Amino acid sequence: MSAVASPSRRVALVGRANAGKTSLLMHLTGSLQRPVNFPGSSVECVESDVVEQGVVLRIIDLPGLGSLSPQSRDESVALALLDGRDEAPPDLLCVVLDASKLAVELRLLQQLRARQRTIVVALCKVDVAAAEGFPVDAARLQAALGLPLVVVNGATGAGVATLRALLATAPLVAPPAMATDAGAEAVASVHRDGAAPQSRTDRIDAWLLHPVFGLLALVLLGVLMFQLLFTVATPVMESIESVQQWIGDGVRSLVGPGALQSFLVDGVVNGVGSSLVFVPQIALLIAFVTCVEASGYMARAVFLLDLLLRKVGLSGRSFVPLTSSFACAIPGIVASRILGNEQDRLATIAVAPLMSCSARLPVYVVLLAAFFPPHQAGLVLFGLYGLGIVMAALVATLLRKTVLRGVSSPLVMELPVYQRPRVRLVLAHTWLAVKAFLRTAGSVILVATVVVWALGYFPHPSAIHERYEAQRAVHGQDADGERARAALDGAEAAAYLEQSLLARAGRTIQPVFAPAGFDWRLTVGVLAAFPARELVVPTLGTLYSLGEVEVGDEPDVRLRDALRTATGPDGKPTIDGLVALAVMAFFALCSQCVGTLAAIRRETNSWRWPVFTFVYMTILAWVVAVAIYQVGRWLGYGA
Amino acid sequence: MILGVDGDDALVQQLEASGLWCGVAIERLATAPFGDPLLFRVHGYRLALRQSEAARVRVRETGA
Repeated sequence: MSAVASPSRRVALVGRANAGKTSLLMHLTGSLQRPVNFPGSSVECVESDVVEQGVVLRIIDLPGLGSLSPQSRDESVALALLDGRDEAPPDLLCVVLDASKLAVELRLLQQLRARQRTIVVALCKVDVAAAEGFPVDAARLQAALGLPLVVVNGATGAGVATLRALLATAPLVAPPAMATDAGAEAVASVHRDGAAPQSRTDRIDAWLLHPVFGLLALVLLGVLMFQLLFTVATPVMESIESVQQWIGDGVRSLVGPGALQSFLVDGVVNGVGSSLVFVPQIALLIAFVTCVEASGYMARAVFLLDLLLRKVGLSGRSFVPLTSSFACAIPGIVASRILGNEQDRLATIAVAPLMSCSARLPVYVVLLAAFFPPHQAGLVLFGLYGLGIVMAALVATLLRKTVLRGVSSPLVMELPVYQRPRVRLVLAHTWLAVKAFLRTAGSVILVATVVVWALGYFPHPSAIHERYEAQRAVHGQDADGERARAALDGAEAAAYLEQSLLARAGRTIQPVFAPAGFDWRLTVGVLAAFPARELVVPTLGTLYSLGEVEVGDEPDVRLRDALRTATGPDGKPTIDGLVALAVMAFFALCSQCVGTLAAIRRETNSWRWPVFTFVYMTILAWVVAVAIYQVGRWLGYGA
Repeated sequence: MILGVDGDDALVQQLEASGLWCGVAIERLATAPFGDPLLFRVHGYRLALRQSEAARVRVRETGA
């Protein structure tokens, strides 16, 4: 090791999961730079630089380790880096120890020591240890270990400056040899004897892990999350939509009508807007989940639900990704990294998109309002969410019995002490998740929107324009004439769409959806929604001859009426309650989101799983939609 | 008190990494609804184990 005089040092931050590495890293580097959604889910190791006393400290954040034999993907990554399998090993190990379970932590320290690498110990959660009835004497621990040791506080950042200085200046020498039982002596020397008294966490757990009250609290928490997502995020989403419309109008006034205007407004602005609109919900969800996780409750939820989820071939830990998927499957799929067992993880990823995400809600709302009285609408909505959950359970069971056979991963899980979530950590996690969403899903959705726009725009023959221009000229300049012209504008837009490539494709494919009762316009809507579900409402609006329909601008009322009164060539209404139900079931189960498939591709590192997910969900959606329509007809409902 | 952990697979390694060692005191704190998993206190922290995993751990009643 010639790095003593080197101006830079590579420091690996090593520790067990939950030891407090994330908070420590945030204080060490001044910012949280991990591209993660949840603590304990960082598979990629991110390096961040910080300069201390003229030395560049390159801090590598390793995923949490349980021991030096890898159990999960996270641990394999950490070990490969620690041993320098792909690149040079780190110069220095900063071992993060959790004072509240020192005996276990010291076992890992002993194993790391044997690797003959310079070690600096950061002792975290000394306050937790004291509160739990096991106070730690840091000075005596340091003496027993014979290693440089700093007490740090993850909440306040106290001691971090000292630690940083130590990391920059500590001589790079292997730790002194030590008998294996010295760790135990060290623990004995710092632990007071006697049983632990009832701590605050024990008192809270008596309620939250109670067989009845515990489950009740869990349900309440779920309800609270949904309420938050729908009540808090909706106004923000609406204001994003109005900004989007304002920008669209601005572009319209700058660029004359034609292909360029349509491309900019309908393609680019709508494409960017339709992904931006999900930012409030994703941010809220991540903030909420980070709070629940940081408070220590998430592990309790896993504990309460483990048996139930195991019955359907998943694991208690699947609870986190599946819950997230109700807002958006993309963060949910990323969160499935916390599953130790690969079979559990893949099964969870494959069924996560069946949870009814927030992008499906606008479709449900429009159709429910058009075809169901309010007292039935709520029930149907509940049924649609239930449909996704039941199907997820069936698919997961089936997968675990066939391609993903194998034993469930063991649930050896720590239930941490309850803590108040730290605002800074929550904000940092939320910002990282939003940034990742904007970068990946945003670009994919944008490209997909532009493709759908092009298919719906071209060939755009000028004959249609001339025909409508002639009709417009007939009407006078008074208010009646204005209204008539506006109606003609809408009809013109519909006429263009009707002869577009998208509509031709819709008519070609319509026989496939005929058994589900879809007419060619619904078929086009379904096709247009494949890149992203949020495209369906504007597409249906145009198809049912309303002209441009903007979501959020009281359009739902107009679209609702148009859907209700639309008639086919035979004069009979094309959509009734039964068809609406089939459409909604189709949307509930179908994989219509390029962003989700991209996330699955990234997380499974193969094309097999996104292709499989897309195929099975589309077939499942079709089968269920057809079944609903055919059974409904047989029972005498519908036309 | 723990007398030992049965088996020689990855689970045993994981249980030992979690501090389930011979001679260590372990206390049952809670049971999840419907009887599984179980919550224990060992080395002063809380560890959840399923019935099937807990069955690997041989213990002796010490009565506290």
